[in-house]
Amino acid sequence: MSYLLKTLTKKEEIDRIIRDTIDEVLVLRFGRCSDDVCLQHDEILAKSVRDVSKFAKVALVDVDSEEVQVYVKYFDITLFPSTIFFFNAHHMKLDSGTADHTKWVGAFHIKQDFIDVVEAIYRGAMKGKLIVQCPVPPERIPKYQLLYKDV
Amino acid sequence: MATLEYSFYADLDELSDNEAELDARTAEEDNIDMDMDVLETLNYDLSRVSKLLETHRYADIMHKLEQALGKDSDGGAEMGTVLEDKLIGDCNQLSADIENEIVIFHNFIRDKYRLNFPELESLVHDPIDYARVVKKIANETDLTLVDMEGFLQPATVIAVSVTALTTKGKPLPDSILRKTLDACDHAIDLDSARKKVLEFVESKMGSIAPNLSAIVGSAVAAKLMGTAGGLSALANMPACNVLVVGHNRKNRVGFSTALSQSRAGYLEQTEIFQSTPPELRMRASRLLASKSTLAARVDATRGDPSGTNGKALREEIRKNIDKWQEPPPARQPKPLHVPYSVPKKRRGGRRLRKRKERYQVTDMRKLANRMAFGTPEDSSLGDGLGIGYGMLGQAGSKLKLNAKVAKKRQFTGGSTTSGLTTSSLAFTLVQGIELCNPQALGLVSGIQSTYFSESGTFSKLKKI
Repeated sequence: MSYLLKTLTKKEEIDRIIRDTIDEVLVLRFGRCSDDVCLQHDEILAKSVRDVSKFAKVALVDVDSEEVQVYVKYFDITLFPSTIFFFNAHHMKLDSGTADHTKWVGAFHIKQDFIDVVEAIYRGAMKGKLIVQCPVPPERIPKYQLLYKDV
Repeated sequence: MATLEYSFYADLDELSDNEAELDARTAEEDNIDMDMDVLETLNYDLSRVSKLLETHRYADIMHKLEQALGKDSDGGAEMGTVLEDKLIGDCNQLSADIENEIVIFHNFIRDKYRLNFPELESLVHDPIDYARVVKKIANETDLTLVDMEGFLQPATVIAVSVTALTTKGKPLPDSILRKTLDACDHAIDLDSARKKVLEFVESKMGSIAPNLSAIVGSAVAAKLMGTAGGLSALANMPACNVLVVGHNRKNRVGFSTALSQSRAGYLEQTEIFQSTPPELRMRASRLLASKSTLAARVDATRGDPSGTNGKALREEIRKNIDKWQEPPPARQPKPLHVPYSVPKKRRGGRRLRKRKERYQVTDMRKLANRMAFGTPEDSSLGDGLGIGYGMLGQAGSKLKLNAKVAKKRQFTGGSTTSGLTTSSLAFTLVQGIELCNPQALGLVSGIQSTYFSESGTFSKLKKI
């Protein structure tokens, strides 16, 4: 299903897409297309890309290319898939009750969850907020353990 | 002329009251009319009606036709193209002329046969069919003996037989009948001649009008050309006329005309028309007519002898018809609207106003904020100190200070009566220290009143 979504492999591409998405939420998925959780996540994204097309843009970032490692390091992405939201080149944070507010780790359970999250981010961003509350109920938020090393 | 005068005389005579006489007169009249008719028909000879069959032109062309057809079947040498063109032009002209002649014959036969069977004309429209029917029926009164199956629709046969039972017509006299049958024969001959001409033209269609025959087929192209009277005549017609060329009004007996399917004439017989679904036939016929007019114009000016133009037009027609038939594009799901919360609708109304009044500046405060001009306002500590009371308690305003507050003021004022206290009660309390204004009580002397005045000096100067 990922042939429907754009896959980015170079740093310039990522820069360009972040810069050029104006007044729309930019959803960047960091992951590998071979991983099955990533596949599930990609399918949900592909199904909803047309529904949110008026206020969001979705792109996939292949985490195996070298240029992208800069971003992987910057955003501290360790588990795949990780989804990061931007609005007008601002990084939008999402408080979903997990440890990490800067990204969404894991796949969405249903399409509606994803659409709800994108909408919450859009509304918060239009109001000028930089962090929004996650509208997904906690049973559908994927849980994960962060192991801190050398901190 | 003669009949007219006679008829006037007859009218005058009819004014007589004698009935028997009248009957005799009318009978006489009829006979005389009949004689007059006979006289007219004797003048109105068939040879004058139809000169065509006798003309040299006709004979010439038919002879040439035979030659050309004979040569083709032998596979022999062909005529020079110029001669051939001329022959084909003549054939077209002849075909048009024959059609006109057939119409004239039809009128003649109809006028004559009307005496016998007037309703036949409205039942059988086609001139050639009419002629055939007349030939078969002749003077027969019992139509069951007549076999009309070969060239009429069964429904029409039944209708004709039934109408014949109740017809008002009378049998024709022999001479008229003979003339009518001759006319029928002539008409049928003309028709077969026309068919031969068209056959010849059709065989030559590929070289005459390749583009037109590429679109509509050579048979229909030959018919169109024949009826129009030549390729240039066909080319000069507007497309709406080309559409109707060859249309025959065959409203079949008993069938309603509400479903008259199309106005197309010869174009109905084309392959393209037959292969389109019935709903699109009207549109297809119009399209065909316009494109075939274009092709005819190309052919009339010999612009494209190879016929590629015609083939291209045919392809265009096919493509158009296919496009009309394709289903509408599939509906894609609509994307969601941009999240935009509509701002709250704020209502007004009496209740809201009343509620808001509780938090607005009160009337009492409004009055206290105002002041009368020229008069110093009352204040809580008196004499301009403390909270000013403005217009409260003044004459004319309904609002005044609270009774408790007014009482308090009174105590400080002592025996003085201020404008705010309504009661003139003045009594001192035992408890508490009441500070009274000594100046108001008149206890101070004049010197002490200038204690802090500007112009005053020290009142007591002591030598230190």
